[in-house]
Amino acid sequence: MADFAVSSEPNGGTGSSFTAAPATQDSFKHRLPDGETQRPWSGRYGIDSGDRRFSFSRNQSFKPQLLRNDSCIGTGNSVRNRSVLYQMASVLLAVRSGNRQVRRLALLISLNVAYSTVELMIGLLTGRVGLVSDSFHLTFGCGLLTFSLFAMTAAQKKPDGIYTYGYKRLEVLAAFTNALFLLFMSFSLAVEALHAFIQDESEHKHYLIVSAVTNLLVNLLGVWFFRNYARVNIAYRKAEDMNCHSICLHVLADSIRSAGLVLASWLLSLGVENAEVLCLGLVSAAVFVVILPLFRATGGVLLQQVPANVPTSAFNKCLRQVTALEEVSEVTRSRFWELVPGRAVGSLSILVKGGENGHSVLHYVHELYHDLGIQDLTVQTDHV
Amino acid sequence: MEDQAPSSSHLIEVNIDVPSTVATVSGSKFCGGAICDFSDSKTNIKDATERSSSMQKLLIAVLLCIIFMAVEVIGGIKANSLAILTDAAHLLSDVAAFAISLFSLWASGWEATPRQSYGFFRIEILGALVSIQLIWLLAGILVYEAILRIIKDSGEVNGWLMFTVSAFGLVVNIIMAMMLGHEHGHAHHGGHDDHDHSDHDDSHDHDHDENHHNHHHEHTEEHFHCHGVSVTSHNLLSSEDSKEPLLNHSEAKSVSKETKKHEKRNINVHSAYLHVLGDSIQSVGVMVGGAIIWYKPEWKIIDLICTLIFSVIVLATTIKMLRNILEVLMESTPREIDATRLEKGLCDLDGVVAIHELHIWAITVGKVLLACHVTITPEANAEYLLDNVIGYIKREYNISHVTIQIERQQ
Repeated sequence: MADFAVSSEPNGGTGSSFTAAPATQDSFKHRLPDGETQRPWSGRYGIDSGDRRFSFSRNQSFKPQLLRNDSCIGTGNSVRNRSVLYQMASVLLAVRSGNRQVRRLALLISLNVAYSTVELMIGLLTGRVGLVSDSFHLTFGCGLLTFSLFAMTAAQKKPDGIYTYGYKRLEVLAAFTNALFLLFMSFSLAVEALHAFIQDESEHKHYLIVSAVTNLLVNLLGVWFFRNYARVNIAYRKAEDMNCHSICLHVLADSIRSAGLVLASWLLSLGVENAEVLCLGLVSAAVFVVILPLFRATGGVLLQQVPANVPTSAFNKCLRQVTALEEVSEVTRSRFWELVPGRAVGSLSILVKGGENGHSVLHYVHELYHDLGIQDLTVQTDHV
Repeated sequence: MEDQAPSSSHLIEVNIDVPSTVATVSGSKFCGGAICDFSDSKTNIKDATERSSSMQKLLIAVLLCIIFMAVEVIGGIKANSLAILTDAAHLLSDVAAFAISLFSLWASGWEATPRQSYGFFRIEILGALVSIQLIWLLAGILVYEAILRIIKDSGEVNGWLMFTVSAFGLVVNIIMAMMLGHEHGHAHHGGHDDHDHSDHDDSHDHDHDENHHNHHHEHTEEHFHCHGVSVTSHNLLSSEDSKEPLLNHSEAKSVSKETKKHEKRNINVHSAYLHVLGDSIQSVGVMVGGAIIWYKPEWKIIDLICTLIFSVIVLATTIKMLRNILEVLMESTPREIDATRLEKGLCDLDGVVAIHELHIWAITVGKVLLACHVTITPEANAEYLLDNVIGYIKREYNISHVTIQIERQQ
């Protein structure tokens, strides 16, 4: 039996993490029998393993054990209600020092805000209702994009005592809010189509063409910025995948809507009857179809569903393997959830038949689930 | 197990709640099966009664809403007034909010599946989130319409009509708010007896950790043997020091739990209530605007200002709930649990060296889970210490879904 030496805390008896420095003690995880700590790039779990079963553990977000925060509760870093001004200032700072995606998003937002302000002014001055409503729609969209930006910058923060899992969930939340807004938009476009259908008179506003074309151009620029995510079904590997995907779909849906308006104007000028109803209905259906996979994926993560990239058969197989151990009599309460795509958490409760073989069982179980991609596992061993 | 001194007299009290289901492995503290329900029979019943009473309230509110909406639609078509039809559409949004809340309430009672290992409790939170987004959306639409009214100032704004229609809407909303918010008297009596016994059960189960490992097993064995039967074993002749505080502790806890339950509304009912409250605030705003325009038709800008102010008020009422929802969705440590004290208390237990990876999070408002790794001294008794830790957490912080990984320091 290997010796799983766990070095003792410098604080002695009741040391936890009351001090700000992370404890040097290794938590019990991922130790190979010969005592060396598991390195993520070693052959067994390597990226070049070529085995498709390991595709979900191929993610790059594996952190070396020593850097993992052990218990962040006592770090004294947790303030519940930071003032809004402080948060806005921190967002601005983060944008200036952020990576490419953050800066592009900031540029997109400022473009949109400028454009919608101009549109609002012109609409108010000339009394054109269509321009005002369009600018309102744009402003709502900008608000959402700002929330996404805030989520992107805030997600970098380290976990603290209140948010023990860190802030990455904000990105999933921002993606969910974007998807929800797009669903609302699709629904309201359908209502508008119905309205246009009932009211046979076509009160289509042709002056909106200029604004629609400009809107289309700005949104196509946004799609170009996030062109890596311009697909409907994406396999999410990291937290920011969901956020960026939602942003891309947001600008894509906006551009579809503008394109639909242009198309409707053109068809009307050609004399096609009910062009508006057709185009609005088409746009509404298209946006709905495009946004649904993202909505389901983000909803699944927020609902504490089991990690989507791990099939149920894999879980059952692991369960059988654990139960097949001779010391284990039963496995109860196995629960898993996904914090963000790429980081799965689980807890397990095992009934062990007597003796002091706890360590080998723990080690085996941790290894088994680490293969599936579940890095944070808490295993409770109860002796019968 | 054999050398523990058995206490001499036991008083066994049996409350049979539901017909017994699968009997578990004897001596096991946990329900059988790899994926079992998130809550045990006690909380299931509490949950189910709370859920059904909330659903009843919401159903009545929906029916009332639909009736009023039908009345308004008929009246609006007859009088050929756009304002009344707009208010009917507003009531339609109320119905939508109630429908979302009803669905969330119903869905959160679904059984856990292999893909949803914690059950569907989160649907409550997501439903409340969607509901609040709806409130924000509606406030935005109202502001937009107020601006439109200013642009299209062709003078067709009838102040008197605005006033009466919104007054009617206000009355409807107030009736529904009273119905949704009035929680204290009715739904409590049915669950009251259940409640008290469960309190006793909790406090008795876990106050015996200092001497009776055997007792603990015995209690829980009797408790979980048949799922529906909750057996409380009152130990009358336990040691002196544990008798006095036992009684006070359980009394204090039952009193405090009652008051807490009074304040805590189901989150979906609360969000529907917020929706209705927001609507009545908006109605007041429209009434004020209508009255001013009726009085002085040239002050149209007042309408816009009123709408803006009242929209901001409505948004302010939703902020607190939005913050709670966000905190649950971000898996943060719940506000009512003092995590630092918990960690310190755990470290103070005998045999515990350190605590790692302590995570406390809530699956929905009120259901808290905890997971941590505990490092113990090489000579400590792991089983005993595990019971100690779990008992401490359940006793002091009332967190019942706890997973502790015991590691031995070597």
